[in-house]
Amino acid sequence: MACNNIVVGIAGSGGDGVISAGEILVNASSSDGLFVFMLKSYGAQIRGGESSVRVRMSSDPVATQGDKLDILVVLSWKDYLKFKSEMLLEDHLVIVSDSADKFPEENIPIPEEKRKHWYKIPFTKIAEEAAGTSLAKNIVVLGAISELFGLPKTSLRKSIEKKFAGKKQEVVDKNLNALSAGQEYVKKELKKTDSILFEYTLGEPRLVMEGNEATAFGALYAGVEFYAGYPITPSTEIMHWLSVYLPKYDGVVMQMEDELASINAVVGASFAGKKAMTATSGPGMSLMAEGIGLASIAELPIVIINVQRGGPSTGIPTKTEQSDLMQAIWGSHGDSPRVVLAPSDVEDCFDCTVLAFYIAEKYQLPVIVLSDAFIGHRKESINPNRIRDMRYGFKKINRRLSPTAKELEDYKRYKYTANGISPVTWPGMENGMYQAAGIEHNEYGFPSADVSVHEKMTKKRWMKFHDIKREFSFERFYGSDDAELGIIAWGSTKGAVKEAVAKANANGIKVQAIIPQILYPFLIHPFYQFLRNKKKVIFVEMAYAGAFRRYLRGFIRFGDFHVETISYRQTGGAPFTVGQIYDKIVEEYEKKDA
Amino acid sequence: MEETTYTLKDYKSDLKPIWCPGCGDFGVLSSLMQALVRLQIPPHKLAILSGIGCSSRLPGYINTYGFNGVHGRAIPLAIGVKLSSPDIKVIAVGGDGDGFSIGAGHIPHAARKNIDMTYIVMNNNIYGLTKGQASPTTPIGEQTKTTFYGNMEEPINPVRMMIAYKASFVARTFSGDPKNATEIITQAIQHKGFSFVEVLSPCPTFRGVEQFKLIREKIQYLTEDYHPSDEVRAFEIANDNDFIRLGIIYRQNRPIYTDIMKKMKEVSQKLGKPEIMDLLKQFEP
Repeated sequence: MACNNIVVGIAGSGGDGVISAGEILVNASSSDGLFVFMLKSYGAQIRGGESSVRVRMSSDPVATQGDKLDILVVLSWKDYLKFKSEMLLEDHLVIVSDSADKFPEENIPIPEEKRKHWYKIPFTKIAEEAAGTSLAKNIVVLGAISELFGLPKTSLRKSIEKKFAGKKQEVVDKNLNALSAGQEYVKKELKKTDSILFEYTLGEPRLVMEGNEATAFGALYAGVEFYAGYPITPSTEIMHWLSVYLPKYDGVVMQMEDELASINAVVGASFAGKKAMTATSGPGMSLMAEGIGLASIAELPIVIINVQRGGPSTGIPTKTEQSDLMQAIWGSHGDSPRVVLAPSDVEDCFDCTVLAFYIAEKYQLPVIVLSDAFIGHRKESINPNRIRDMRYGFKKINRRLSPTAKELEDYKRYKYTANGISPVTWPGMENGMYQAAGIEHNEYGFPSADVSVHEKMTKKRWMKFHDIKREFSFERFYGSDDAELGIIAWGSTKGAVKEAVAKANANGIKVQAIIPQILYPFLIHPFYQFLRNKKKVIFVEMAYAGAFRRYLRGFIRFGDFHVETISYRQTGGAPFTVGQIYDKIVEEYEKKDA
Repeated sequence: MEETTYTLKDYKSDLKPIWCPGCGDFGVLSSLMQALVRLQIPPHKLAILSGIGCSSRLPGYINTYGFNGVHGRAIPLAIGVKLSSPDIKVIAVGGDGDGFSIGAGHIPHAARKNIDMTYIVMNNNIYGLTKGQASPTTPIGEQTKTTFYGNMEEPINPVRMMIAYKASFVARTFSGDPKNATEIITQAIQHKGFSFVEVLSPCPTFRGVEQFKLIREKIQYLTEDYHPSDEVRAFEIANDNDFIRLGIIYRQNRPIYTDIMKKMKEVSQKLGKPEIMDLLKQFEP
């Protein structure tokens, strides 16, 4: 069976090089112009423990990791057991396992009918013979599966050379030997019983990025000058990346003692006139909540990236969830306006971060980017030109509005204006001295407990929403717009929704999806358009309490549109599969006909 | 061109302090302004950051870039400003509650990183703004609104704590002695590195006017033959409960964070400073 869409899963223990193997495979595929999607999954152990990787390759664009594995590579069955709920298997599954694994076959949780194609290969032995070390067994795996299933062989060699570049030639050679040995073993010792054969035409190479890398790069592109943060999974890669590159462009990255310090240092840097940001995850966001209120009342631009994880508290920190929505939108104290953006894939992480800085600087308020572990930690292939002419390809990223010489004669930092935006100075600017304050203040920034001042100032701060709503429209539609069945989803659930909607429409089931990407302020117009002919909408979200549906119901009276709302949600951990969403679409579609 | 000379008038803001009559903080404000005149720091080249408390209102009373932030976070705010603009003089101010209770977690880090800033704590041994609760420096046995039966907790000794944290400049002064306070604050601002000044700044409203007298009775000034570079001796001075020693108790010269940061930037740039778009190369497969 020739195919151009294939999902490979590899499971093993931490030392097996499972993730490296996935990365090499992803790079090889991307250099051949394929669309790839790679998801890592591992336990919370620092070193060792179980680890798995899943790589999907296709000549067509891919929006998800693929529901089920076509090929399962197992280096250790004991470790595979930890992933069995995450790794669903196709009926035509092909298993490739290490024949040295002593795990009793009767305990392997794979039904008989999916064991038809099973190749047992002595990976460790081949690695030791070819490379002189069992460490190379992940490369032997790549050799074997590339031979078995027609994966990019030439590019695999190149990717291995690149991976080990900088090491001794001997190391590179050993690994290339391991690759060849894996291929030779298959040629000589195995008889192919399955029919999976990957076929594709070569294309232009693509970039391979993780969501967190795209976020960090976006920040640098937007001109970030100051980063203060505290390590927290799954956000920390953003700080790692910026700590290498930001100093090259005269920026500052400082690891603080906690998130309270981080957010306040970021506010301080913004007060000093710099484009400032931090990144964190749910528990860190909770600690930053007070600082968000401060930035809001002091009208200082800051950008906060929240790479969400399963919670509350420590929860499942290495896995994904969408349960910080309400915290992002409302989390602080008092009436504290902020903007919330939601990237839905790796490219979006770049776009949303650039947009976040633009909005923060222009409107002088905090902007929160709600990413999650699913986007942050996955690798996707990206068209390099796509990032160069991104949707929000602002020629010039605005810096906040400065006062004119005349305005400085009697400088009012918090001057009442028609759009709520007042000119801002920062330390070093002559005649621009003012008091920034968390305390309610008059136009000069001086404290005021006058009720009418508080009302006027609160209004001034919220007034900015008016222009933000007019300036932007940022949502995605999928499917046919005359459909009566709709899906409303946000963030990382987009991938599964997009593919499920495409499949449904291809099968004659009319359905349309809307993915809002500016979550707050709430832009209602796209929804009016979307809801016009809908009879029923399904809310899809990775959060048990269904905050997204509740949130939208605060803005849209679905009853007025005669639209029935259905909530389809699950807790985080494993992301939605296309099949799950598709089945739900079919279920609701058929109910409609009944 | 004529050189500008800054006078007290230039540093005085239009805002009238909310402090109670007789509050020690008036003395601190005036000493700080005297120090600024002495040092001729242009008001626009200065940033004064604070958290919450009576004393944290101080930035508003000086004509400069001031920031009255949230409770306990004056130091991180100040760090944000200093790292962003190393040529700005940065001063964080606040009280004993703001600094040693809610904000205590930040102090060791600013001190060990040797951020080039001055931190002035106006210690009145009580929460004044919230009207008279015990603070981390309230003496044992003292009755406050939250210690009706007498405070049971060992108070923090700010100077000893700061020496232990490796603050590179640790001093104590008294708001009732403007001459000494001005001198100490001036030296603190001049110090290259993290300088800490504890100013005893009594709260007549919640601890009584007699506090001024009680402090004066116990004051002893450090003399010229005292060498603040001796850490062991500095601890002895800090631990002396019979007297209140005023002066620069501990001082050390070590590299400041912004200088180290500058070097780090140079190293990073020497390794290459590509066009930002060229950074995408690292994502090529």
